[in-house]
Amino acid sequence: MKARMLITIFAVGLVFFAGYAALFIAPDERTMHEIQRIFYFHLGCWTAMFTSLVIAFVANVGWLVKRKPHWDWLGVSSIEVGVVCCTAGLITGMLWGKPAWGIWWTWDARLTTCFILWLLYVSYLLLRGLIEEPARRATLSAVFGIFAFLDAPLVYASNRLWRTQHPAPVLFGGPNSGLDPTMVKVLMISMAAMVVVTGIVLLDRYRLERLRHELDELRVACEARVVQSGSVPSRAFRS
Amino acid sequence: MRNFHFLFAAWMAVWAVFFVYQVSVARRVSQLRDEIERLKQQLRES
Amino acid sequence: MTTARVAAILLAKELRLEFRTRELLNATIVFALVVVVLFSFSFDPTSAESRRLGPGLLWIAFLFSGSLMLHPSFAREQANQTLDALRMAPISSFAVLLGKMLANFLFLSAAEVVLVPVFAVLYNVSLTAVLGRLTLVIVLGTLGLSITGTVFSAIAAHARMRELLLPLLLLPILAPLLIAAVEATASLLAVEPTLERAWLAFLAGFDIVFLTASWVLSDFLLEE
Repeated sequence: MKARMLITIFAVGLVFFAGYAALFIAPDERTMHEIQRIFYFHLGCWTAMFTSLVIAFVANVGWLVKRKPHWDWLGVSSIEVGVVCCTAGLITGMLWGKPAWGIWWTWDARLTTCFILWLLYVSYLLLRGLIEEPARRATLSAVFGIFAFLDAPLVYASNRLWRTQHPAPVLFGGPNSGLDPTMVKVLMISMAAMVVVTGIVLLDRYRLERLRHELDELRVACEARVVQSGSVPSRAFRS
Repeated sequence: MRNFHFLFAAWMAVWAVFFVYQVSVARRVSQLRDEIERLKQQLRES
Repeated sequence: MTTARVAAILLAKELRLEFRTRELLNATIVFALVVVVLFSFSFDPTSAESRRLGPGLLWIAFLFSGSLMLHPSFAREQANQTLDALRMAPISSFAVLLGKMLANFLFLSAAEVVLVPVFAVLYNVSLTAVLGRLTLVIVLGTLGLSITGTVFSAIAAHARMRELLLPLLLLPILAPLLIAAVEATASLLAVEPTLERAWLAFLAGFDIVFLTASWVLSDFLLEE
């Protein structure tokens, strides 16, 4: 309990510091001025999303290989959190695109592949809702999750392979790319803040999944007990 | 400050999305906890 | 028995099954024709317009009729529980998948053979100059469609609402393939036909990546 409190306080502190840094410590950008500061939240969202999706991929493989339920719980939790991060990233992107490019959206390689990624993982969540049996649900959604992850490297590489409306990479990009050192520091703080917050949300979602499992087991136990005693028809437990 | 309202909207949007999601997860967790307690009680009684 | 031989036997079975009733093939061809004809009502097929909108329409027609045709691929097996028999046989799951992928590829190609000339006539595009290259693009794209479609119909077979679920799962994952195929087709139908090797490489790469992934995950797809 106390560990949770401490982590939460640390996360909140980090978030506020990141916000302060993004608004006041980071230097002014030459062409876009203030609106460029969305960059720190925008990249933070994507870092958090890619981290979640990599965790999800590992969890999917983990379930298929080991068949322990906690891999399945980790898989669905990290994908759901990943969708949340992706949504936040797309929203910040649009809110940056409108003042910077004059348009809310365009179908260049980066935005298209990213939107596809969002759709794929939303489909994963839909698929899970449509398969009843837990073990089969875990297996089939793990397979689908692995296929969906094949789009992720494409999203990352899309603005390196093609010329896009979206800006070319500034970190690890080609020549003429690069970031002012102070900006890099602020970026690192923002990324750290978002990854920590995502981690906390992920742990809570994982706990939700674990509790669901516990509830299902309890329901089965209750039903068995009641059917055994023969007193109440088992229909009573279908809530 | 040019375009400040977009910057502010973006900042609010990010944290709103996370906040709403976290609240929904927390609500479901507490609902499940209550249900689990109820069933445990039922098991103890029977 | 080698995987290839098993796949060939299963392919023969699928073909024999289909040609007995021909219901799937007929439905696919008719549906694709309907899509193409209906689309032609939405704009005046002058040459310039056709070149701009035609490739997209063509691939959408392939995609829709493909999705329709892929669903029964596993649903039929479930109805008669023949999938259990396949599982129990001493053959690799990848061979089963491969047999189905090849069957779906052939059915879809049969539909396309009918569709492409109709498209050329209705939309006033001349295909004779680019026929070889166009065939290559269509083959690579259809392969991708069949591979991914078979895998996802195996996944959707165990879910509720699978008629709706299959296109829902399939369209996002096929979007990169579709974009590449449409761009390649469009460049071939242009006034000065060209075909960039990059698009072909992308299409081939997509097929190889998804075939490899299916091979790795084949056991899990056909699990109990």
